[in-house]
Amino acid sequence: MVAQDVNDARKKLIRVFTFLGGIYFFLHFLLPESAVSYLGWRANHEAISNGFIVVGAMALGLGIFNIVRDHGARCVFKRSGWFNSLALLLGLSSMLFVTTGQWINGQKNSSDVRRVRLTGEFASRILSDAERPPQDRAVPPLSARITALLGHQRAQASAIEGEIAVSLGPDAPASAPMLIGEVKSKLDALDQDMSEIARVPWEALGPQQKALLERVAQNATKLASAYSLIKQANHSRTRIHKLYTFLYDGLFNQLGSAMFALLGVYIGAAAYRAFRVRSLESGLMMATAVLVMLGQISLGESQAARAGVSLQDIRQWLLEVPNSAAFRAIRLGAGVAGLMLAIRMWLSIESTSFSSRER
Amino acid sequence: MSGLEHVTPGILCVLIFAGWLLYRELSRVKQGYVHFIRRIPGVDALESAVGRCAEQGRPVVFTTALTDVGPTLYACLGVLHSIARRVAQYKLKLLIPQYTPEAMALVEDTVRDAYREAGRSSSFDPESIKFLSSEQFAFASGYMGLMHREKAGAAFMFGAFAAEALVLAEAGQQVGARQVAASVSPEQVAFFICTCDYTLIGEELFGSSAYLSREPVQVATLAAQDRLKLLCLGFIVIGVLLATIQPWAPRVASIMPDRLLSSDWGAISW
Repeated sequence: MVAQDVNDARKKLIRVFTFLGGIYFFLHFLLPESAVSYLGWRANHEAISNGFIVVGAMALGLGIFNIVRDHGARCVFKRSGWFNSLALLLGLSSMLFVTTGQWINGQKNSSDVRRVRLTGEFASRILSDAERPPQDRAVPPLSARITALLGHQRAQASAIEGEIAVSLGPDAPASAPMLIGEVKSKLDALDQDMSEIARVPWEALGPQQKALLERVAQNATKLASAYSLIKQANHSRTRIHKLYTFLYDGLFNQLGSAMFALLGVYIGAAAYRAFRVRSLESGLMMATAVLVMLGQISLGESQAARAGVSLQDIRQWLLEVPNSAAFRAIRLGAGVAGLMLAIRMWLSIESTSFSSRER
Repeated sequence: MSGLEHVTPGILCVLIFAGWLLYRELSRVKQGYVHFIRRIPGVDALESAVGRCAEQGRPVVFTTALTDVGPTLYACLGVLHSIARRVAQYKLKLLIPQYTPEAMALVEDTVRDAYREAGRSSSFDPESIKFLSSEQFAFASGYMGLMHREKAGAAFMFGAFAAEALVLAEAGQQVGARQVAASVSPEQVAFFICTCDYTLIGEELFGSSAYLSREPVQVATLAAQDRLKLLCLGFIVIGVLLATIQPWAPRVASIMPDRLLSSDWGAISW
């Protein structure tokens, strides 16, 4: 009795949530843009949409847990097909390991490039703060900030030098000298700016100081762009990246391509079955297919041109007129049926149809 | 608003009309009105295919392939329910390879319910609903392997399909399975016609569930959608007429579509 009540309550809850979720998107669609903004939905729409992503992320964690539990048990107790489960778990763990490594490397690269870019952003900020001192926060003296900027750049310069040394390894790509030359020239330009900055007095912001900071901002941005290319080149030589490329591009994608290639053979087999002329309809289909195929190739076109017929035009007409009409009819029918079913689902009268039939 | 379109007057009218039609047909069916549903040979073949499996002692395979949770999946579940009930009655093995994790829970619930209705709850095996992969061709290769290992006697492919359609259908052909396909993807219909014994095209997929179950709600929806389709046909005819008279009466021909199709309600001059 209690179980029945809980079940009924659960069903009611599902119906209420379905209806509320449906009415949100329905009204969103129905109301004019001004009304949506007035109700404050515009600002919250992204947050609501993100809620669906969060539910998906939870399901992902649950999925991994289930795979490890089910297939792990199958391997441990050596149930039938345990070697398939083992292959699955090995594939899952190796891909997880490699992808995590790849992600960590990517994060490190981005943060290194970001630190170089920060030199330019810092210079721009010093300039803007000196021109228009902010009212809401205290700013250190200009000379102290310049000292910090010089210190930051020195640290970045040594990091960049280290990265350049790595780029010169025996397995360096052909483009390495060009990339290194690019980074070195940008680094030299920035170093020159920094030397000038160190020589100039920074008690107040004059035209010379202003021009120097603007130049630093520009050169640091250029250096960051060139540096990111070197980082990428170095990253592509790491073992983890090579392993990732082998597993993903070399194995996974190629297996997909191999399956796709089967279609070539299967289309031939299916065409043989379909084009056996056993009735008027199949004869008509065969004739149409031959016309479309001949219209597609230059040989058919050249042969037809001699007879004064444009096979390309016939093919075009067949594809654009009867074929498109049939496609539209199918899409219209399915669309109308989908709309009706969607209304049924939204109002929860669908659930009585099969899955929760009264018994 | 980004990501969402707003309703146009024309679509709003269609939506209101669709809601009213559904309500009207539901009321009529509840009052005992019996709608005629034309015979669909492909749907009749579902039962004979399951019967053939019972004679041969071979399993039945049902897949919704790439179908995501939505109206199409619900239409497929209606058919799955009928097939699963029959499979349970005949004590056959039912295999349902899955592509979409979200759909899996709904599929399992539907099959469990069908077994319960057939009075064979204990025969229901959750392992029969296998998640293969949500990668298109990995799913296709898994399906092929399943068909060859299990030597399925019947294969039912219902829902949305893409390039893997032919791979799935050929796998069934290779093991000599009786195949029925129903797709809302027009590009794949041609492949199914070539490789399957029966093919349901477009909305026949939505009608098949009502045809099999004759349930009032489903039959009423089928009737309502037919009437809505008639309205759409009317719109097409009006559109053709307006396009035809365009050279002689350009103002009449251009005003109506503007009013019906603009989503900027404030800018429409009535």
